[in-house]
Amino acid sequence: MSEATLLDFAGVVRAFGRLRVLGGVGGRVAPGEVLAVGGPNGSGKSTLLKCLAGLLAPDRGRIDYREDGESLDTAARRHRVGFLSPDLALYQELSVAENIGFFCRLRGLPAARGEELRARVGLPAERLCGALSSGMRQRLRWAFALLHRPRLLLLDEPLEHFDAAGVALAAALLAEHLDAGGLAVVANPSHLELPRVAGRIDLAL
Amino acid sequence: MSRAASTWLSEAVAVFTKDWRCELRTRYALNTVLLFALTTLVVVSVALGPLGADQQARGAVLPMLLWLILLFAAAAGLPRVFGHEEEKHTATALRLAATPSALFAGKLAFSLVLFFAIEALTAPLFLAMMQLPVAHPGRFVAALAAGGYGLAAASTLVAAIVGQARGQSTLFAVLSFPVLLPLLLLAIAATRAAVLGGDAGAELTQLVLYDASMTIVGLMLFPVIWNP
Amino acid sequence: MRRILPWLLWLWLALVIWAAFFYAPLAEGFVGQSSRILFFHVPMAWVSFVAFLAAGAWSIRFLAGGRRERDDHAAEAAVQLGLLFCVLATVTGAIWAKVMWGAYWNWDPRQTSIVLAMLFYAAYLALRTAVEEPEARRRLAAAYAVLGLVVAPFLFFVLPRLTFSLHPDTVVNTRGRVEMESRMLQVLAASSLAFTVLFFWIHRIQVRLKARAERALPGRTTP
Repeated sequence: MSEATLLDFAGVVRAFGRLRVLGGVGGRVAPGEVLAVGGPNGSGKSTLLKCLAGLLAPDRGRIDYREDGESLDTAARRHRVGFLSPDLALYQELSVAENIGFFCRLRGLPAARGEELRARVGLPAERLCGALSSGMRQRLRWAFALLHRPRLLLLDEPLEHFDAAGVALAAALLAEHLDAGGLAVVANPSHLELPRVAGRIDLAL
Repeated sequence: MSRAASTWLSEAVAVFTKDWRCELRTRYALNTVLLFALTTLVVVSVALGPLGADQQARGAVLPMLLWLILLFAAAAGLPRVFGHEEEKHTATALRLAATPSALFAGKLAFSLVLFFAIEALTAPLFLAMMQLPVAHPGRFVAALAAGGYGLAAASTLVAAIVGQARGQSTLFAVLSFPVLLPLLLLAIAATRAAVLGGDAGAELTQLVLYDASMTIVGLMLFPVIWNP
Repeated sequence: MRRILPWLLWLWLALVIWAAFFYAPLAEGFVGQSSRILFFHVPMAWVSFVAFLAAGAWSIRFLAGGRRERDDHAAEAAVQLGLLFCVLATVTGAIWAKVMWGAYWNWDPRQTSIVLAMLFYAAYLALRTAVEEPEARRRLAAAYAVLGLVVAPFLFFVLPRLTFSLHPDTVVNTRGRVEMESRMLQVLAASSLAFTVLFFWIHRIQVRLKARAERALPGRTTP
């Protein structure tokens, strides 16, 4: 029963040309659990999360992700996960509501879901994304990651640019996600109080 | 199945409307590409000077010039279709949320509408400035449509490749011109036939064949190009 | 056997060269001895065609069959060698054109299409140098090679019909028959076979060299 939904990876290797960033990383997350990924800048935290999200192909290693007993291939995994990263941006020419509405339509979700989440992260609907502060942009990234109610959340620097209120919001959203039986992998969680940490990977340079 | 088809279609439409909304707010492609086409048009017509009254000679040279202007206008504007997604890091969000083939279809539709708009403004102006009468207006429009479709489709596909590489604008020209040249020669031949009053049936059929194969190969290849 | 094979190939090639000059008769309607270049020009064109087709096939296999580095190396090596044979075919063709038509270059449809093929595969190599990340480089290059397979028929079948060509009939002509003196045909077949084997032999060496260079990357050697 507990194995029905599970992220399990082992021996993940990824090099960029001559630079070997990940040298055989493994881990395991079950529902309601958090896997914390630590390490200094450049140790490969973002690379690992991108590999897990299916945005980068690992050179070697196995990534196995199952939802309700169904094993997902890379394309399905990429589509299902909730991914948050400083490298991810939304359209500056569009307003907050238009951005969220666009991704709702791509994912086939009702507009009400986007509206609900926008209110939850506390963003002004009509403001153009180009005119958002960096903290507000981070809130929009949270909304993008949670939009389709993913079972697996991959959070890279989830607190970047956040003030105290932002940190509290992030903690609440993550707790809700875990209470609902979600899984999470969090990179550099130093300032976030993580509930139910199942394991920790410390990457070295 | 029909449900899957309708969500695919609504995804493609969402990409198309998103692109147009962004485009109408920045007016980047419309302003620069159109201005680029007009500027080259003026330069060409001034540099060429009066060609004399020989309709045969004019009909031989001018269609080629028209298509060269259109080619360079496409090279100036269409790489951006994917280029700006990669540059602004919005590509990651699209990779996560969109079905690749639907994304390609939406982008293709955007390129087509943009390029047809450019053709619709450039071609009449070109004919007027060059004082070139067209023997078969219907065939002329057909040649522009079939040639423009292939030009936009191939450019969109190459733009997806180039978007992930360095030195985008130069590389786009290097990669797209060999792909576009057969199309261009066909389009010039068809346009020439339309202007001089010849038969363009074979060329138009081959153009449509090129268009169809570009669309099919684009839909098949794009998921591979787009995702790791 | 491995050691003898290259020597057999050299012997075969030497024989072909001898036969081209002393065994095969001269073709009718050609200036002087100019028809003899055919025994080298046609195989060069044929091998570059085979090379580009093979590069496309390897690229498809790379994309569809598990993304193995080996297939990508094979495709890249085939393009590089194909480009070399393309240049040789163009040069031999141009020399012959000078003798027969009085000019090295006159934009005959065959010349146009071979130049376009060269441009395309040079662009393929340019694309490879423009993508630093190996995984993306392999994927994008393979996709571009497949695109080449789609454009090629337009190049070979459509283009020659657009303009009048002076180029002699290809070996199997438009009437679907082989019309060539039998001794000439023998030499031509022997030569084509020899150069095709030569191509695959060099290709194998190239692929092995590429695999070795890949292993030598420092990123890969550390466990």
